[in-house]
Amino acid sequence: MSDRFTTADVARQLDDCTFCPKMCRHACPVSTTTGRESLIPQAKMDLLNRLRRGTEAWQADAAEPLWACTGCRHCTVYCDHGNEPGLVLLAGRAAAQRAGAGHANLVGYGERFRARDQRLATQAKEHLADAPFAEGGDVGFWPGCDSLDKGAADVAAAQAVFVRMGLGAVPLVDAGLACAGYPLLAAGLVDEFRWHAGKVASALRRFRTVVMGCSACRYAVTALFQGEGVTVATEVVSVAEFLDDHAAALPPATRARAVYYHDPCYLARSAGVIDEPRRVLGQLAEVREFAWSGVDAECCGGGGLLPKTMPAVADAMARRRLAEIAATGGGTVATACGTCALMLRRNAPEGVEVRDLATLVAELTDTAFTPPADPGDEP
Amino acid sequence: MAPDLHAALAAVVGPDHVRPVAGQHAWLVAPGSPAEVADVIRASAAAGAAVVPVGAGFRAARVKSLGDRARVHVATERLDQVIQLDEASLLCHVQAGLTGAALEQVLAPRGLSLGDYPPSILGSTIGGLIGVRTPGKSSARHGFFEDAVAGVSAVLADGRTIHTRVAPRRSTGPDLARALSGSEGTLGFITAAVLRIHRRPEVRLLAAFVLPSVDAAIAAAFLALREECAPAGLRIVDAAEARRHFPETALADGEAVVVAATAGPTDLAACDRDLIASAALAEGGRPADVALAERWWKRRLGLEPIPGPAPTFQVSAGPRHLAAAYHAIRAAVPGARLHVSRFDLDGAVLFATLVDEAGAALTGPAAAAAHAAAEAAATAAGAWLLGARPTAMAPYLAALRAALDPHGIMNPGALIDPV
Amino acid sequence: MVDADRVRRELEAVVGARRVSVRPGDLDTYARDMWPRLLLARRDGAAPTTLPTAVVWPETAREVAAIVRVARTLGVPIVPYGGGSGVCGGVVPIFGGITVDTKRMTAIRGFRRDEQVCDVEAGLSGERFERELARRGYTFGNFPSSIYCSTVGGWLATRAAGQLSTKYGKVEDRVAGLTMVTGTGDIVDTDGPRRAQGGPDWTQLVLGSEGTLGIITSARLRLAPAPQLRVFRGFEVPDVAAGIEALRRVLQRGLRPAVVRLYDELDTFVNSFGSHHADPAAVHFGHTHAPAPLPGEGALPPLPPRPAPPPTGALARLAHLAQRSTRQLRGDAFTALLDRPRLVNSVVGTVAERIARKGCKLIIGLEGARLRTEVEAALTFAELERAGARDLGEDPGRAWLARRYAVSYKMSPVFRDGAFVDTMEVAASWSQLTDLYYAVRAAIGRYAVVMAHFSHAYADGCSIYFTFVAHAGDRAASERRYDAIWKAGLEAATRVGGTISHHHGVGLLRGPYMHGEHREAMAILEAVKRSLDPDDVMNPGKLGLASARRSR
Repeated sequence: MSDRFTTADVARQLDDCTFCPKMCRHACPVSTTTGRESLIPQAKMDLLNRLRRGTEAWQADAAEPLWACTGCRHCTVYCDHGNEPGLVLLAGRAAAQRAGAGHANLVGYGERFRARDQRLATQAKEHLADAPFAEGGDVGFWPGCDSLDKGAADVAAAQAVFVRMGLGAVPLVDAGLACAGYPLLAAGLVDEFRWHAGKVASALRRFRTVVMGCSACRYAVTALFQGEGVTVATEVVSVAEFLDDHAAALPPATRARAVYYHDPCYLARSAGVIDEPRRVLGQLAEVREFAWSGVDAECCGGGGLLPKTMPAVADAMARRRLAEIAATGGGTVATACGTCALMLRRNAPEGVEVRDLATLVAELTDTAFTPPADPGDEP
Repeated sequence: MAPDLHAALAAVVGPDHVRPVAGQHAWLVAPGSPAEVADVIRASAAAGAAVVPVGAGFRAARVKSLGDRARVHVATERLDQVIQLDEASLLCHVQAGLTGAALEQVLAPRGLSLGDYPPSILGSTIGGLIGVRTPGKSSARHGFFEDAVAGVSAVLADGRTIHTRVAPRRSTGPDLARALSGSEGTLGFITAAVLRIHRRPEVRLLAAFVLPSVDAAIAAAFLALREECAPAGLRIVDAAEARRHFPETALADGEAVVVAATAGPTDLAACDRDLIASAALAEGGRPADVALAERWWKRRLGLEPIPGPAPTFQVSAGPRHLAAAYHAIRAAVPGARLHVSRFDLDGAVLFATLVDEAGAALTGPAAAAAHAAAEAAATAAGAWLLGARPTAMAPYLAALRAALDPHGIMNPGALIDPV
Repeated sequence: MVDADRVRRELEAVVGARRVSVRPGDLDTYARDMWPRLLLARRDGAAPTTLPTAVVWPETAREVAAIVRVARTLGVPIVPYGGGSGVCGGVVPIFGGITVDTKRMTAIRGFRRDEQVCDVEAGLSGERFERELARRGYTFGNFPSSIYCSTVGGWLATRAAGQLSTKYGKVEDRVAGLTMVTGTGDIVDTDGPRRAQGGPDWTQLVLGSEGTLGIITSARLRLAPAPQLRVFRGFEVPDVAAGIEALRRVLQRGLRPAVVRLYDELDTFVNSFGSHHADPAAVHFGHTHAPAPLPGEGALPPLPPRPAPPPTGALARLAHLAQRSTRQLRGDAFTALLDRPRLVNSVVGTVAERIARKGCKLIIGLEGARLRTEVEAALTFAELERAGARDLGEDPGRAWLARRYAVSYKMSPVFRDGAFVDTMEVAASWSQLTDLYYAVRAAIGRYAVVMAHFSHAYADGCSIYFTFVAHAGDRAASERRYDAIWKAGLEAATRVGGTISHHHGVGLLRGPYMHGEHREAMAILEAVKRSLDPDDVMNPGKLGLASARRSR
């Protein structure tokens, strides 16, 4: 077991879940999408309980359900016990890795993560050659790996919006890093995560404020780093919060539009960032709600490394999320996280457009930005 | 064999209660107890004779022929006792041969009632009401008549007697009483039932309105029902029928009369009446003389004759199709008089009296042609004929009958669709 | 011996490889539901005694039909599986076979505002169903405390009841037709529009069949407009008998409150402490690793249901009370007290009465169309007062509403602490209700600490919901005690003319008592079984139906 939890507390949570009549099952996006009973939070926790007690052997096949969680915390909304299945399962993943029972798709993941992280950081300087970079200063902008990889246009749009709002040319954080390391933790690589967190923290400390484009990075830095003994005094906010803080400077909308807002789980449920993006969008457009939104928002499948461990399920979750919009005639969906934007975009049905929050703000306010000619960029 | 069966039946019920049906290979038997019913069925089974239940209004001549097969018509007229009246639970255990009217006579002095069902239930036996399932027995206040059945006793083909057990609701498997209810004597011979009864309402309020059209009247009715109004009775009468039933009321062509009765605690009955009134006004209606409603209610209770002829034809339709079905019937048979009643949230029943334009009842081929035309027009407009059976379930019904009645003695002619 | 590989291949030919599983982990999960007796084994680390051969996830009724035909051909049973939230072992594959999970059939179709009906597929989660209806301005009105974990199909298969059943009825009262796959692999619709059909009522013969006759794949359900008004109130009555009488009078005047709950003295006492720890600051996410936002820094808004401090459930309070009031007993542990249930029942009962001196609590709630609800509420409250109930105002009603599903979370701590808890819901006509209460309470009370509330009232009767907590040494002793409680309780219910289940169903738990419940009328059930499932493919051995199959 991970040393981050007291054994007694983990045991209590696992027992609570084992004996609970599945009261959070309807909120679990993975099991709702697949219909698989073994993937409801109660079953996953029960499995981990058996692994813990030794009545089930640590083997990759048996441990597979531990990877069927995006860490979205929707289940916690319906838990009277105050349990945190997503986090307990992370501890389970770490134990699985140590026991040699990790997920087949994550063999050598640590190496792959580091390689991609460095590649994206280097690539950013090429793709976003016009953008300012800084190693320190007042405010820095850290878009997150998926934006750098597949959403460079959103990065350019965000910077254009910041300029238009009179916030100046917010420089990109030049840390040689693209990601705060949440995927490492999700992969059960606790030591790698701690080591990576240290590097991230020393880069971020050189800024007073860092604006983050990735909800998982924001969550990792503000919530998960402490558990590793890594503290960051820097103020860390999402793009949505940053825009909201300066909402008075938002330019007026030039066209009327109705948009749906998809809450990134790590913003809505782990950071309480629910009203901020709606205030920003509300100033420019009519904000419509999904059937499940805010603290009850359904996950799009991007978290917890699910796109790596169960890619078909992750994509099905994103399609499920958007099916509601398609069924009611389509429309525009905004979200405030690079990973969510990526997941939703690549699974959008006909008639549904997905926009990153900053890009949508740019569009609604006729703020010009130059999408970089990025071969990896998606339209 | 025939004399043997006669003797066997006489031995069970006594010679006074068995008689041959003239000109047919059949007997009419009136057992005096459930045990005698069981013995009659055993005797019939031994002789390979068919057991045909008989409620009120038996006409031997109307019975479908079963070829050479002997038939034993089992009448329930002597099974007419109230076995137990549980006033605390509002449950009444009655034998199957009791008529609705006779039961009301027992209940009324105690301030109780079978409830606000259509008046047709008064003339039927309880066994008949349960044995035949039709949607025409619903009440906006109490639901369908079969919902009032808390339990039944029946004799099966092999002479075993079963009692489905009584509870307000249960989750111990399917509702077994519902197998017998609607089975028309094919699965078991119903000898007794436990019925949910009601206290007589503290007050009954009547009201009448004139609506600009039948469409508006239908809209008003559902408007009130969707506000949870639960009238004891509600009827829409079109202008043609109103001229016959309420001749003193001057109605323009196309207008309709709505009569309503509400019941219950005074405030609730008033609330329901007000809901109907405001719905009628909202649909452009105006209040009419309450005497209309009083008259309708008296006729409903059988205290005043109903102007004939009786409706010739009825169909059921959902709220969406009701008006269309009405107009379709009217177009098919221009002289038709119609009313709409038996309202439930998901629809109502249209009753048509098919007469010629002079108002005379149609007879012979003209009647048959008008009936066929009206039926075709109504179904084309989205209404349903009553009493049709789901053909998909026919093999399962056959299997169920075979399981309970392997020799096919229980009302073998019933519930079989012509192929 | 079943050729498991052949079963898998044949199923894959129907739905494709991705929707068939023979993974040991899946088989283990699908071997059980939330039957507390199975949790005793689970706690002991025991594996299920029987497993399904395969699990399959169909997406259409056609696929279900094809699966049933496969099972019929291969001679293996089918066990339908919804949310696995049943508490009677209804989904346990006692003869192995194919477990059919309905949860990929979740569509809502044919939403008809004019008739207030919609067609819904069986696998849809209850909570998701109600949310979808609420968005459209309607409700189905079935709110069981399992609504978060159960499926619509499970409701129909067991004749479930929700907390608002007194107004909306049990689910069987709100079904306009079913689509099912029979044991012969045919797809049939059981009723037409407006019940405009003759013959037996197949809908009512399939509802409650718990998968023994076929698999319900979708249903046409009657809806009600979302309530325009909700009025909730608490009352107090001197004792259980007075409360029963008050409820009876309300129901028999033709009034239909949505919620009716009368708590007996002990249940009242235990619940009176539930004053709704709604303080968000009480929510603590105690992991250094997982500092969820604390109040003041982007706190989570109040959530439905409000988070509670974990270990102090009503039952824990009961234990605490028992400890305090029985110091003369040696050993003051909860479990030690549970070993002396009769003593605890009497002592706690007396103490509860002495401390509370308030009699029994009664929660009454009305909802619906504005005008009629207002009138009915006034009449209901007046009738209760005439019957001697004292009005406690709106707070107890609102508090109940806010925590109405909380009971479902109370199982875990009891099991964790080595005891066990279960509930027994029985029902009877009003004239037998008091007998039923005392008979069952006494029967259970020999083995367990027991409390009860009366809910789900009708004009002709009412159900009683007993909750009991007990403890025994090891697993075998616990199972013996568990079985003894059920035997005593259900036989007592049958003896006084009550039914052995109001809404949880039969499953394995009540199978042995079905003949006592229905006696000769079981012949009808057996005949219906032969008709719809002649080869005994569907969930064999359940519902008290005999099976010629041999256990695996």
